[in-house]
Amino acid sequence: MTTPVLVPADVRARLRELRLALRSHAGGDGLGQHSSRSRGAGLEFAQYRAYEPGDEPRRIDWKLYARSDRFFVREAERDSPLTAWIIVDASASMRQADRAQPGRSKLDAAKTLAACVIELALRQGDRFGLVVLGGDAPRVVPAGGGARQRDRCVLELVQCRPAGAWPGEASARTLWERVAPSSLVVLLSDFFDEAAVVLAERLASARREVASIQLIGADERDFPFEGGHRFVDPESPAERRVEAGRARADFLARFAAARAELARRLTARGIRHAEYVLDEPADLPLRRLFGARASDPVGEAT
Amino acid sequence: MSFALLAPVGLAALAACALPILIHLVRRLQLERTEFAALRWIGADSPPRRRIRFERPWLLLVRLLLLVALALLLARPVLEHIETTPVARAFVVPGVAPSMARAALDRPGLDLRWLAPSFPSIEQPLADTAVPLASLLREADASLPEGAVLRVVVPRTLAGLDGERPHFVHALDWRIVDGAAAAASAEPGTVRFAVRYADEEASALPYLRAAVAAWNAREPGRYVLDAAPAARGMPADARWLAWLAPSRPAEVDAWIERGGVALVTHDAQGEPLWRDDAGDVLARSRPLGAGRVVAVPDVLSPARMPIVLDAGFATQLRDALRGAAVAPDRADAAAYEPVAVPGAAQADVSAPAGARRSLDAGIALLVAFLFLVERVLATHVPREVAP
Repeated sequence: MTTPVLVPADVRARLRELRLALRSHAGGDGLGQHSSRSRGAGLEFAQYRAYEPGDEPRRIDWKLYARSDRFFVREAERDSPLTAWIIVDASASMRQADRAQPGRSKLDAAKTLAACVIELALRQGDRFGLVVLGGDAPRVVPAGGGARQRDRCVLELVQCRPAGAWPGEASARTLWERVAPSSLVVLLSDFFDEAAVVLAERLASARREVASIQLIGADERDFPFEGGHRFVDPESPAERRVEAGRARADFLARFAAARAELARRLTARGIRHAEYVLDEPADLPLRRLFGARASDPVGEAT
Repeated sequence: MSFALLAPVGLAALAACALPILIHLVRRLQLERTEFAALRWIGADSPPRRRIRFERPWLLLVRLLLLVALALLLARPVLEHIETTPVARAFVVPGVAPSMARAALDRPGLDLRWLAPSFPSIEQPLADTAVPLASLLREADASLPEGAVLRVVVPRTLAGLDGERPHFVHALDWRIVDGAAAAASAEPGTVRFAVRYADEEASALPYLRAAVAAWNAREPGRYVLDAAPAARGMPADARWLAWLAPSRPAEVDAWIERGGVALVTHDAQGEPLWRDDAGDVLARSRPLGAGRVVAVPDVLSPARMPIVLDAGFATQLRDALRGAAVAPDRADAAAYEPVAVPGAAQADVSAPAGARRSLDAGIALLVAFLFLVERVLATHVPREVAP
């Protein structure tokens, strides 16, 4: 099975200069990738395995020995100091594509960005997970590390199709169960749904480090339509019949104001926010968020 | 040369031009559907303008041209060559002396023409003075340009007329002078009726003699009976012949084919001429060459044909031999003066004047060409529109 190439080669080459980092640790010591909290016997239980000669006796689970009369060793996963969660908005509005490039929808761009983040995390040895919101229920790839985890995430990304609306509060609860505090959340959405903004704000309030990328179509940036148009909403039956040429200036002004308002709201919550227009290279928003200059907290306000 | 339409009603088909215009307009009013998620920031205060704009104007133009050409084809256009007569014309009916005609008209610049086929000049003598006068009058009326006056010099007595008194489009100048038109062909005065009989049929002779005597009672001395046995051969100057013999030699047939009229016995071919009271055919008539045969199936005897005893036999025999009577075609010129109906008669009397050339073929070719162009344009979808 051949999967489509999510990350173009030139973008992959430019990713080398970037690294995922928590803002709180950014600019810290240069010895390791991240400041580690503990090492050795981990905090997060993974599995039991039979005792083998050479194992440290203190790692034997004595309570289990008391119950089963055998030696078992508690194994824990090595704590990764950084867990990156990538949340992809796959609602129907992400189906939109530019007229100049009808084959590449916003969701395709989001997949590319997500794959870029996964590549970054994989290269740094960080753990990463994927949540796809949209359709019937959110699909979750639990956090993990390694190349196979990357493949699992990429497979999930490739399979996902834009459908439905932004999920309600109930299904967003899985996010709270999975996404641990102090993890990095990269939210890829068009932020046309108020619930997406609210989710980002809540995650940020609950000590999750949130980086958001708003995907904007080139048509939305330029509004190149002419003549009578019937604009329909992909998620609702709403529609507008307008003379596109005359509505352009008004739309551009209002849309720019809405984007500025969104950036202001998110930045106020300490969220790193970037816009990504679909005809730009995919590494540009990541560079804005995680590039060298992004270590300055107010560096990329927009 | 002028352009004219034989059926201007066909131009009503131009109303069909509204169809392609509507098609190209209606399509324009449809709005382009675009999925657009950032819908809520589009202001609602600029509704789509209903401007009149035509989609693919070249195709529309070709379609309109095609319909116009079709409508034109329905209207049957023609090119007319109307002969313009720079000199005023006057027509002289044969029978009027040219000098009298000039005197009657009393205008030096007039172009005088005989009212004869192809309207020859009055300077030439006419070969045949018997002309179908009514028909020529109508032709003269139709050949004049609009607004002209139809000047005719007629003799006091007219011939060659028909049953209809002509109605003319043009104003009429009807001059009557002394003279008489030549009658068609008067029958010669004396008619020789030759009877040739075989011996066994000589019994029919008294009835024929009686018939001729009856004819002569009304027109004394006109009919001359020449009865002789068949062996005497054909008379030279006979106009009518009664051949009463079982067989007919070839020279009799040859005589008939030269234009003779013959009553023959023992012959049963031709159209029924006489019937008896029961409806049975007693005699038949048929043309033979330039002449005519009145055929009796059996011998001409009272036993076989009781009609010979009938009081009307003489008249019937004469009518059969003389053929159909000529319709009366003579009239007094003053009584015959035609009626001029300008305008009202235009529709049905507007006879074609000069040569007229139909444009149907050319326009049909144009229609075919336009249809081809229309199909090419309609099926050729511009690249950027193609999905």
